[in-house]
Amino acid sequence: MTATTTQTLSTTDKAIKLGQIGILLVKAGLVTEQQVEEALSHQLESDTDLIGEALVSLGYITQHDLLDCLRRQLNQERQEYQRSRECAPIIRFENVVKELDGRRILDNVNLEIPNQKITAIIGLSGGGKSVSLKHMIGLMKPDSGSVWIGDQDITTLNNAQLNKVRQQFSMLFQSGALFDSMSVFDNIAFPLREKTKMKEDQIRRRVEKALREVHLPNMGGKFPEELSGGMVKRVALARAMVTQPSIIMLDEPTAGLDPIIERSIHYLICDTYMRTRYTMVVISHAVPEIFNWAHHGIVLHEGKVLAAGPSIDIVNSKHPVIKQFINGELDGPVKVM
Amino acid sequence: MNKLLGTLMAATPSASNPQQSSLLEPIRALGEYCLNTVHQMGCMFIFLLAAIKQMVLPPFRPRTLMAQIHFIGIRSLFVIILTGAFVGMVLALQGYYTLSRFGSEAMLGPAVAASIIRELGPVLSGIMVTGRAGSALTTKLGMMRVTEQIDALETMGINSMKLLVTPAIEATLISLPLLNVIFCVVGIYGGYLVAVQLLGLSQGTYFGGIETAIVAKDITVSLIKSVCFGLIIAWICTFKGYFTQRGAEGLGSAMTSAVVLCSVLILVSDYFITALML
Repeated sequence: MTATTTQTLSTTDKAIKLGQIGILLVKAGLVTEQQVEEALSHQLESDTDLIGEALVSLGYITQHDLLDCLRRQLNQERQEYQRSRECAPIIRFENVVKELDGRRILDNVNLEIPNQKITAIIGLSGGGKSVSLKHMIGLMKPDSGSVWIGDQDITTLNNAQLNKVRQQFSMLFQSGALFDSMSVFDNIAFPLREKTKMKEDQIRRRVEKALREVHLPNMGGKFPEELSGGMVKRVALARAMVTQPSIIMLDEPTAGLDPIIERSIHYLICDTYMRTRYTMVVISHAVPEIFNWAHHGIVLHEGKVLAAGPSIDIVNSKHPVIKQFINGELDGPVKVM
Repeated sequence: MNKLLGTLMAATPSASNPQQSSLLEPIRALGEYCLNTVHQMGCMFIFLLAAIKQMVLPPFRPRTLMAQIHFIGIRSLFVIILTGAFVGMVLALQGYYTLSRFGSEAMLGPAVAASIIRELGPVLSGIMVTGRAGSALTTKLGMMRVTEQIDALETMGINSMKLLVTPAIEATLISLPLLNVIFCVVGIYGGYLVAVQLLGLSQGTYFGGIETAIVAKDITVSLIKSVCFGLIIAWICTFKGYFTQRGAEGLGSAMTSAVVLCSVLILVSDYFITALML
């Protein structure tokens, strides 16, 4: 018992000292503890969140090694999740029904989002994915049914109570939804200025760190219209992360991007998850690619949940609609032409 | 109240049923139109109440308010001065030739001033602000809605109504009476330029007449009108922008309907305010 406690303590101490990524790289044998400590000492504020980047800049590892290590670790966790299937849900839909313009978008939907896991929601356009996401965050109310965040049914909350619940959330919108009258810096600083009592120099440090995390240092002075599509998504991700929420929603984070930027965004999501362990809900059409990054998958079709479970199971599903969707086939139960 | 407004906006009444006979179709269409109109009016009224409620609730945003006053008021100054000057000048020109037929040139000053202060000042400054700032307000809010920026604010737990709508209404209520005053002063001096400098009327005749003809009530009514018009402009333009739908097309039609509705409501309400205050 004492030995276990001592071991746990030392692991926690190491995690604090080296950071999640530092420990991961040491475990993978890519660097030594001394090298991690040295990299930390080279940083301005010994920021463990950016230790990977510091090690790359010192030449101890390559960017490829770092990303590969993150991906392998995520893969291990995904396989572990597939075996155990054990995870408490943080978001839960109970018989959610929503009609818009006379069309039933969500038809008695029951779903669960596991805590501290990456969940991918896929499905045909108009299948109810974005509407589901808006229900999770309280931007839409169901016609009937309930939406639970932890142990709170958010459909019964008033605006003030809902705003409190929303403090746990951040969302990356499909279009980025950056405020076009503000610079990149002000966009990221905005939620901190509005919702916290942080001083301006603290905000500046936090924003600069967020920009470094999305690999856009020194871009704070630019305006949204000066950025490429991939940059907009990364700034939006930085804005979503800057408040340090516990749940991040990503609505098609790679839509309209080229394959290289698409992959870089996926790596960024993986990197963010590894560092922060936020619960992430990703809507994506990038199938089957997204299932290489997600623990859990949900397939929405015509307002119903067609399948939900470990993403590896979804990819291997024999359901004709899921097979057709994942393989992008024209022939199948879904007629598009 | 925001919750109620959201629910109402999402639930547009629809009565279409393809099974109904074609004979009943015009009645059905009329009924649907009436229902939609009443529904829209109800939504607009609740929207206004929600915005007014936010005016008295903290946090107060003096910087945002100043920025809006700059956008709606100061940036409309040029167009107000230009319009005011030429309206005064043309009134003096027309008035002079009409009044000179009856030998009543001395009445030119009071005629120009009364027309401008009582009617043209508040109405034209209102219409000019609608065209310059109101339409821009609708476009800005509409763009923010279409590009999900308003949703982003709500997601951050920030009351978008408080941040975007309330300061715009407050700023218009403050700016429009001031712009009206500027319009009237510039208009009267525009008339002076034509009547005195161009047509040779004496300065004393022009201004002396104004002093005796214009009473405090005229100015009060003028200011009341401009406050009412300011409320109409801010209310309609923010409402249309805030609830823009269907992308670029929706944005265009929201802007057009905001400008048309504001202009019509300004003219209609001008009649009723005048009738009440006379």
